Amino acid sequence: MTQIIAVHSFRGGTGKSNLTANLAASLGLQGKRVAVFDTDLASPGVHVLFGYTHEGESLCLNDFLQEDAAIKDCVHEVTPAPVKAAKGHVFLAPASMDSDRIARLLREGYQVEKLNDAIFALADALSLDYVIVDTHPGINEETLLSAAIADYLVMVMRPDSQDYLGTAVAIEVAQRLDVANIQLVMNKLPSQFSRDEVRLRMQESYEVSIGSILPLSEDLLTLASGGLAVLEFPNHTWSTAVRELAQALLEASPSA
Amino acid sequence: MTEGSFPNLEALPRGPLTMALMVQLEPPPLRRLLKKGLRRGLSTAELRQCLDADWGLALESESASSLLKALQDRRWFISSADADVWKTHLGS
Ligand SMILES: Nc1ncnc2c1ncn2[C@@H]1O[C@H](COP(=O)(O)OP(=O)(O)OP(=O)(O)O)[C@@H](O)[C@H]1O
Ligand SMILES: [Mg+2]
Repeated sequence: MTQIIAVHSFRGGTGKSNLTANLAASLGLQGKRVAVFDTDLASPGVHVLFGYTHEGESLCLNDFLQEDAAIKDCVHEVTPAPVKAAKGHVFLAPASMDSDRIARLLREGYQVEKLNDAIFALADALSLDYVIVDTHPGINEETLLSAAIADYLVMVMRPDSQDYLGTAVAIEVAQRLDVANIQLVMNKLPSQFSRDEVRLRMQESYEVSIGSILPLSEDLLTLASGGLAVLEFPNHTWSTAVRELAQALLEASPSA
Repeated sequence: MTEGSFPNLEALPRGPLTMALMVQLEPPPLRRLLKKGLRRGLSTAELRQCLDADWGLALESESASSLLKALQDRRWFISSADADVWKTHLGS
């Protein structure tokens, strides 16, 4: 059965898209079939991490949501070479980067239920093990839906007071929707912070499990979303921790 | 049935279901039912189990029928004519 992982944060810039893409690659390295949905339709970006560029006629998620294109025609294989070597596959449902189309989508809206149907239709069509949903920050119809349909909700935050407060709101909403498995991920932890103190504060602030604590990384900043850290710097602390998170998700869902 | 766990059907809003509305609906078992109806929807057997687990209701009971009718009337939770599936419907 396909497992759905939603990656969300209350505030922007926490590292959702980098985490989504690197989790997808990590699961792919374990031979899994993974699709990434870019539901951040107002400010898409996760395609950049896979080096995907929108070309001519190629369709994207907007074509499915607004034009009734078939979802399988809006998805593109972006499997990196090392993942292919490990017999994994990564597919991407990118969102349009055309300003007119973004404006049109915001103006006209779309039926969010279509997003639900697309995810499960694609899961069957491509025999996916995992779907990872990259989201827009904050609370809106898409992010609520993504959380509601997720088997795992990965909530990303930084060690910032605004993030601590906002994450509490996002978790409260997810709990109202009975999201079974919320994994909290702290990202961009500066080296001068004590991991133990941060872990304690996270535990005291929220009654959810802590998925990972990821360092602020000069290398990630330099990579600047120009590639996948788990492939570019496999031995980096950040990459190791993301692979461990992927492993934990794998072990929690052995049938996927 | 636990006191207060069954929705006041008269008081349910009339408009289309949105995720924002779902988050605010009370009581929690109603949210739970509508949430479970997302994804691939529920088979009749799963619906039966859900009604029983949350409300101790049989699918054929009067309370369950009136609940399902109230949700169907609003087009929030729809049974498919040609497949054994109950699905939550968002939007108009
Ligand atoms: N651990 C880290 N250390 C340093 N830089 C990071 C780290 N994680 C992410 N970044 C950088 O932070 C920026 C934002 O990352 P990303 O786009 O993944 O966040 P996001 O949550 O998806 O943002 P948005 O809310 O805008 O979608 C990028 O420049 C990325 O390279
Ligand atoms: Mg992003």
